[in-house]
Amino acid sequence: MSNEFIALAVPALLLFSAIFILLFGFSSHYTKNRGYFITLATLFIAFIISANGVGTKYSILILPDIFNSMVVYDTFSATFISLFLLGGFLTLAIAKSFVDKTNFFTHESFVLLLFSLFGMVVLTMANELLTAFIALEIASMSVYILVGLNKNSLKASEAFFKYLLLGSFSASFYLLGMMLIYAQAKSTNLDVIAEYILHTELHSQLLIIAGSMLIMITIMFKIAAVPFGAWVLDVYEGASLPITAYMAGVFKIAIFAFVLRLFLKDYITFDAIYDPLIIGGALVTMFVGSLLAVIQQSVKKMLAASSVVHSGYILIAFASIGEATSSAASAIMFYLFAYFISAIGAFGVLSYISKGSDKAINYDDLDGLAKTRPIIAAALTIFMLSLAGFPSTIGFIGKFYILTSAIEAGYTFLAFFGVLSAFVSIYYYFKVVMHLYFKEAGHVEVHYGYKVSLAFIVLSGVVVLWGGVGTSLLLDIPGINALNELSRYSIESLGF
Amino acid sequence: MLKAYMILSILLFSIGVVGLISRRNIIVIYMSIELLLNAVNLSLIAISADMADSSAQVMSLIIIAIAASEAALFMSLFVVLFRNRASLDANLFDILGNKHA
Repeated sequence: MSNEFIALAVPALLLFSAIFILLFGFSSHYTKNRGYFITLATLFIAFIISANGVGTKYSILILPDIFNSMVVYDTFSATFISLFLLGGFLTLAIAKSFVDKTNFFTHESFVLLLFSLFGMVVLTMANELLTAFIALEIASMSVYILVGLNKNSLKASEAFFKYLLLGSFSASFYLLGMMLIYAQAKSTNLDVIAEYILHTELHSQLLIIAGSMLIMITIMFKIAAVPFGAWVLDVYEGASLPITAYMAGVFKIAIFAFVLRLFLKDYITFDAIYDPLIIGGALVTMFVGSLLAVIQQSVKKMLAASSVVHSGYILIAFASIGEATSSAASAIMFYLFAYFISAIGAFGVLSYISKGSDKAINYDDLDGLAKTRPIIAAALTIFMLSLAGFPSTIGFIGKFYILTSAIEAGYTFLAFFGVLSAFVSIYYYFKVVMHLYFKEAGHVEVHYGYKVSLAFIVLSGVVVLWGGVGTSLLLDIPGINALNELSRYSIESLGF
Repeated sequence: MLKAYMILSILLFSIGVVGLISRRNIIVIYMSIELLLNAVNLSLIAISADMADSSAQVMSLIIIAIAASEAALFMSLFVVLFRNRASLDANLFDILGNKHA
C-alpha cells in the first residue's frame, strides 16, 4: 500500500463508517450489537491499514495541489494514528457491558466516537494552524457530547456544561494566537512560520512569541496542566468510565502529538523564552496533581488526578527539548506509549468492575477482589505498577527516558522533582493494590462481565509487562527496542 | 486604520472575557464566548485588508462556521440543563465540586 493511499483511506474509512451508522441507526434492521460490531470492525480495519505505514522513515505532503500543503503524512503521524485507532478499539472492546446495559449509549454515540477519532487523525497530520484547529474542534466537540451522553444524570450534564464552557473559552485563545502569528508571518503554515522565525531576529518577532504563548494556553488547557486544568477532576468524575478512559488515554495523546509537532517545527527556536515557563508549569503540575491524587476518596478521581501528574512528567521532557532535542522528543513518544496502554488498562478494569453502572468506584469496593477475581486483581496491579513507574513494567522505561533526557539537558533539579513525585505516587497507586490483596471482602459479590473484555484487559496487561522486559533476545515480538526505534524514526521523519 | 480596528478588537475580546467570568446566566456566558470569536474575526479581516491578502478572510469564514457548530452544542446544553434544574443560573451547578456528593 502506498503511503498516500493509507493517509487518505484511514480518515475516509472513519468518516464513511460514521455516516453509515448515522443513517443505519434509523433503519429497522439496526440493533445496538450491530452498531457496536460495525464500529469495532471499522476501527480494526483502519488500524490494520494504518499500521502498514509504521516502521519506515518518510514524510510526504498529501495532494499538495488540493490541500495546499496543509496536510502532511509521515512516520510520526502514522505511529500516532495507529495508536489512536488501537486506543479507540480497546476502549470500546472493554466497554462491551457498558454499551449493552446503558440506554443512553445510542447509535449516535458510536458516530461521535468515530468522528472524534477522525478529528484526532487529521490533527496529527495537520501542518497548518487553522487545519489543526478545525481538527481539534471536531475531536473535542464530539468528546464534549460523549461526556454529557447521560442526559438524565445531574453529574454528567454538569460535567458537559463545565467542559464545553471552559473548552470553548480556551479555544478562543488559540484563535487569538493564530491571528497574531498570521499578522506577522503572513502565513499559518508551520513550515513557512519556521522559515520566517529562522530568518528574522528574535527581538523583532514579538507578535509570533505572544501568539505562540496564547496557543500554549489552549494546549495547557487540553492536557490539563495545572493553572488551566481545573476542569479535569469534575469532568472525569461526571463522565461515564469508558468515556473517561477514552479522554485520558486517547484524546490527551492526540493533543500531545500536535504539540510535539508544533514544538519541534516552530517553538524550538524560542527555547530560551519558553523554558522557564514550561519548567514552572511542570513543577506546579506535578506538585498540585500529586496533592490532588493523595486526597481523593474514589479510585476514578484518583486516576483522573494522577493523569495530571503524568502531564507534568511529559512537560519535563518538553522543557528539555531545546537542549537535548532527539532524546527528549523520543522520550515523550515512549512515555506516551507507556501511559496510553496503562491508562486504558486501568480505566478499563474499573469499567469492567462497575459493569456499566453509574457508581463511582471507591477504594472499599476493591476490597478482597484478589480472592474472588484473581485475574482482574493481577491485571489492575500491573497497571498500577506501570503508572507508578515500577521496574519491569513499561511505565518504568518511560519515566527512565524522560528523566535521562532532563539530566542530559542539564535540568537535574527537574529530574529530582520528577523522582520525588514518583515517590508520592507510590502512595496512592499502592493503596489500590493494598485494598485488592490485604483487605477482607466486606460484601460477597461476584462480578461477571464479558469474557472478551477480560481477554483485552489481560492482553493490555501483557503488553505492559512485555514493554518493560521484552527484548528481541527472548522472543521475536516487538519489545522495548522496537518501541524505542519506532519513536526515534517518528521524530526523525519530522526532520530532526 | 489597522490600529483602530485592532484596539476595537482587543476591547471586544476583553469585554468577552469579563462577561464570561462575571456573569451567572449561561446564555449571557455563551454570548460572551461568541464575542471572543467575533473579536478575532474582526481583527483577521482588518489584517487581511491591510496586507491585501485574502486568506485571512477565508479563515474568518471558517471561524464563523466553527462558532455556528459551537452554538448548536450550547443550545443542546441549555435544554439539558434547564430540563434537569429548571434554571440556567451557573451557580446552581456545583455538585461535582462537593467532596461528599
